[in-house]
Amino acid sequence: MDDKKTAIKIVDLHKSFDSQKVLDGINLEIPHGEITVIIGKSGGGKSVLMKHLIGLLKPDRGEIWIDGQDITKLKEKELNEVRKKFGMLFQEAALFDSMNVLDNVAFPLREHTKLSEKEIVQLTEEKLRSVGLAGFGYKMPSELSGGMRKRVGLARALIMDPEIVLFDEPTSALDPIISLTILDLIKETQERFKKTYVVISHDILGMFRIAHRVAMLYNGKIIEYGTPRDVKKSEKEEVKEFLKATGIPGF
Amino acid sequence: MNKGRLSPELKVGIVVLIGFIILFYMSVRIGKYGALGEKGYELKVYLENANGIDSKSPVLIAGVEVGRVISVRLENFKALVRIIVKEGVQVPADSTVAIKTQGVLGDKFLEIIPGKDKKMLSSGEIIKTVKTSPDFDEIFTQVSTAAKKFGDTIGEFQGLIGDKEKANIKNSIENIQAITGEFKEIIKENKQGINSVIANADDALKGLKKIVGDVEAGKGSLGMLIKDEKLYTDVKETMGALKNISKDIEEGKGSLGKLVKDDSLYNEARDTVKNLKDITDGIIKGEGTLGKLAKDESLYVETERAMKKLQKGAEGLTESTPITILGTIFSFIF
Amino acid sequence: MINLFGLERIFNPINGILRELGGMGLMFLNSILLAFRKPLKFNYIFKQMEFIGVKSLGVVVITGTFTGMVLALQSYYGFRKFGAEGLVGTTVALSMTRELGPVLTSLMVTGRAGSAMAAELGTMRVTEQIDALIVMALNPIKYLVTPRVIASFFMLPVLTIISDFVGIVGGWLVGVKLLGINEGAFINKMVKYVDLEDIYNGLVKAACFGIILSVVACYKGFHTTGGAEGVGRSTTESVVISSVSILVADYILTSLMF
Repeated sequence: MDDKKTAIKIVDLHKSFDSQKVLDGINLEIPHGEITVIIGKSGGGKSVLMKHLIGLLKPDRGEIWIDGQDITKLKEKELNEVRKKFGMLFQEAALFDSMNVLDNVAFPLREHTKLSEKEIVQLTEEKLRSVGLAGFGYKMPSELSGGMRKRVGLARALIMDPEIVLFDEPTSALDPIISLTILDLIKETQERFKKTYVVISHDILGMFRIAHRVAMLYNGKIIEYGTPRDVKKSEKEEVKEFLKATGIPGF
Repeated sequence: MNKGRLSPELKVGIVVLIGFIILFYMSVRIGKYGALGEKGYELKVYLENANGIDSKSPVLIAGVEVGRVISVRLENFKALVRIIVKEGVQVPADSTVAIKTQGVLGDKFLEIIPGKDKKMLSSGEIIKTVKTSPDFDEIFTQVSTAAKKFGDTIGEFQGLIGDKEKANIKNSIENIQAITGEFKEIIKENKQGINSVIANADDALKGLKKIVGDVEAGKGSLGMLIKDEKLYTDVKETMGALKNISKDIEEGKGSLGKLVKDDSLYNEARDTVKNLKDITDGIIKGEGTLGKLAKDESLYVETERAMKKLQKGAEGLTESTPITILGTIFSFIF
Repeated sequence: MINLFGLERIFNPINGILRELGGMGLMFLNSILLAFRKPLKFNYIFKQMEFIGVKSLGVVVITGTFTGMVLALQSYYGFRKFGAEGLVGTTVALSMTRELGPVLTSLMVTGRAGSAMAAELGTMRVTEQIDALIVMALNPIKYLVTPRVIASFFMLPVLTIISDFVGIVGGWLVGVKLLGINEGAFINKMVKYVDLEDIYNGLVKAACFGIILSVVACYKGFHTTGGAEGVGRSTTESVVISSVSILVADYILTSLMF
């Protein structure tokens, strides 16, 4: 377990909104080049944790180490340099409504690289093809289905070849079949590029399908962390309860 | 980029261009000596009283705007007024400056009355002669006093008119003629005493002329009403004489102040008014020579119309208040 | 988030207003500062200029024209009593250039473009598009607010001068063509009493209103919470706050200028 390089190291992370404690001392080491899934109840602070990883939220206390830097202490400008190593797929894909699919996916390239327009279009179309959306470049996001939007979001998250890709509920609001294709897509791209993927989800069943490691978030703490096999065998009451709630025999 | 459609840049460009064209057009129309074309030279003038003169007050020569006031400030208890005069307009060194009033709102402006000097003023020089004129309020007071006295006189005579007076209508008209003759003489004598009040009364008197003109226009119907040829001629001559008076006054040969202050003049005016009143009363009551007119329905209508015209003429005179009062008095008398 | 909890409850209303005011001020400063940081996105600014300026043109022209027309009609009935019909042109021109041009234009743009800005940014907020920008290491203020503020700042005066002009033309149509006021008097008195400053000050006002309406709309949109309903609330609030602020600012600017 410790032989792997650590991509993200979270130390004693605390965060409260008003009187409500959301994160209560998170400690987690996310290894490089693997898919780590953080599961937990809806509204249990998973999204809050993820927003800390990319600097959208500042913690009340604690540290987040990425590439030897504590990003919670960084200024906006330095933080942006760290963010360039990230890609993120949002829950609702968060595509820009005012742009077509091609412009959406090409957006990071246009803003952060000096590539020519021809190269940008070429790269973008290649990425769209890899998520199975070749030829959809000139559609507007509003013309796409939820699953297609997620795929465009994935293409956009991957376009800069980021070291770390974050996924916020990649299968929420999708039917089971589409969910599977998205999950397969995630797994496939990870296997191809060997980047660090961090997925948060409450969809246990789906996550065990792709995860190299699973962390369970409960009451603002990580109560179990290990390979899917380890987690399944966990003796902790909360974990058992959670797994049981999925209602699938054998879990 | 988009085939068949204008790019946002182009559309914005068109709208901004329209905006600039309008702004430019409006600036040029309104600009005059504004921020864009401040071309001209500066003159100074010291005024005893710059009441109503403000920066941007217009400067006129012979009624044509040639410049603007740029600043008014106090210097040695006099108002130093700096004006800017349009390039190309020359002002003789011995020119005079006067404050005048214009418009419904009583706006003040500076009038430069050009002198005859061959030497022209250059930038920064001072126009030395200033024609002081009494305050607007002063004139107003004088005129309203006059108007009040007119009114009083008419009041006095109301009810004093007996049969004897009515019988003397013809005589009265001849008297008017005689009086107007005297008027003229008195005015000629007073030529030396021309007061500058007149300068301000100028505009008012233009209106007076208009009333008299209207009376004259009304004369046709009046004249026709009066069958008596002699009487008609008399009236006509009276009108002519009245016109002469007003013309004389207009040309500055008399003074309203004088008219009010000079006792004999005042008395004569009083007589005139009395006689005029006699005539009108006779007409109203349908007696005397003019009595006939009241009995003829169509003629009455015509008279009424003439009266209305007169009234309208008086009301139309909004250029300044005093003249409105005078106009009302006149229309009241006739 | 902020540990002023007890205090906050006591001063809640004032605190809320002050915090919003401060937030808007900061957002404005930020957007201006970011405008000077390269690269300045001209295509974004042009897009907003088109949205704010070009697409509001129709409504501004119609309001301007009818305002001028009704001004002429109303002032005509007033001035006729003094026989001063010639001043109708002056009244129309002064009212349009000094007051109604900038204020009505800004209110119309607030209703049309300001509300749309708040709704658009609000939607972007609740659908995490703003977060997406941040994650891409891009400053959302620079990308979303700066172009809108700059575009409003430049387009409002342009719209205002057009509104002034069509208003005066409307006044001229009613005054001269319909009511038969002497055209010479109408134009000359107008030219005589209207100064360049009246026009320029009106345009300065319009530029200020442009900043107000765009900053308020962006701030409200940016701080939207609560899904689609929240977007609706932000939109309404932004229109109300912008309109009131414009009128208050109008008084302040007028007392400073004239």
